[in-house]
Amino acid sequence: MFSLSQRLQFVGNYAMTVGVVLIVLIIGSSHVDFSLKGILRNSEASISNIRPIVGLRTSRFYGAANGHPKENTRIAFDLNTDLSGLFNWNTKQVFVYLTAEYNNTDKGTVNEVTFWDAILPDAEHAVINLENARSKYSVWDYADHLSERDLRFKLHWNIQPHVGPLMYGVAQGDDIVVNVPKPAPKN
Amino acid sequence: MNIRAELAKFLNLCFVFSSAYMFWQTYSIVADTHSPIVVVLSGSMEPAFQRGDILFLWNRNKYSEVGDIVVYEVDNKQIPIVHRVLREHHSTKDNGKQLLLTKGDNNAGNDIPLYAGKKTYLAKEKDIVGTVKGYFPQLGYVTIWVAENKYAKFALLGFLALTSLLDDE
Repeated sequence: MFSLSQRLQFVGNYAMTVGVVLIVLIIGSSHVDFSLKGILRNSEASISNIRPIVGLRTSRFYGAANGHPKENTRIAFDLNTDLSGLFNWNTKQVFVYLTAEYNNTDKGTVNEVTFWDAILPDAEHAVINLENARSKYSVWDYADHLSERDLRFKLHWNIQPHVGPLMYGVAQGDDIVVNVPKPAPKN
Repeated sequence: MNIRAELAKFLNLCFVFSSAYMFWQTYSIVADTHSPIVVVLSGSMEPAFQRGDILFLWNRNKYSEVGDIVVYEVDNKQIPIVHRVLREHHSTKDNGKQLLLTKGDNNAGNDIPLYAGKKTYLAKEKDIVGTVKGYFPQLGYVTIWVAENKYAKFALLGFLALTSLLDDE
């Protein structure tokens, strides 16, 4: 009646159908959960007390080229946020990152750079209270300098799912604009 | 042994392969990238992406954003790299080019040592294969297994031959 391959094929097809239905249910229910909580549009963060630290670096890996040193900027900052609402059954982890946007009016460019980021493995780690934290990265502008530019700071997040689409968002909060000072002149 | 039935079976097999190929090509055109589905090969984005995970790409965006996970290829290297955009710089003029700096979430430093030659930035238009939009775990491990284990190919071919021999409908 039925050959082995027919049986295998039937079992395979059935398993695939069940799998697809399950995946659709997981993704769909997770979206419903997020929209009921309203968290995707209404996550909040307070970024404050930003103090830029400016110096010169001479390495190619810090933006220097042809022997010309490059201005590098680090920051110290405070950050308070609760992103635990971004976790549900389809959240594998949340990647959170603090960026600064600035315009270089001389060159006519729009720029965004990351100063700090972190992997949040679960909801317990999603409550962040940092005081006087140091930026993870030393940042330079690709064209010339960051000093005398207005950096507009924002906290972004990215939900990485167990299965399905990646989701991105920005935490709401006060507009934080910081002007970077010139590096101290050498004596 | 019925020649006609055997030929019909062969035709059926061709149909399966050509459908898969057509699906791949259609997705390539829609997403505007030469490889719209990639399998993760390295652990530099762990724990989010592990070896064998499948990523679905999209490449119709003009500019990448900071935080996007992009797949890029370095000149002279065949292996595509999946990393996150750390910085972006683009001109406000029309058709202004965009420069990107990337980093793996699990790596300590940025990707400048990975870029070819003296390059310190990637060009969005030229180097980026696509942006990761969707994720499916582990299923791609079969391709890694076949590519990296020399017996796997024979095992797979043997299995296919055996089933087609045993197949007597």
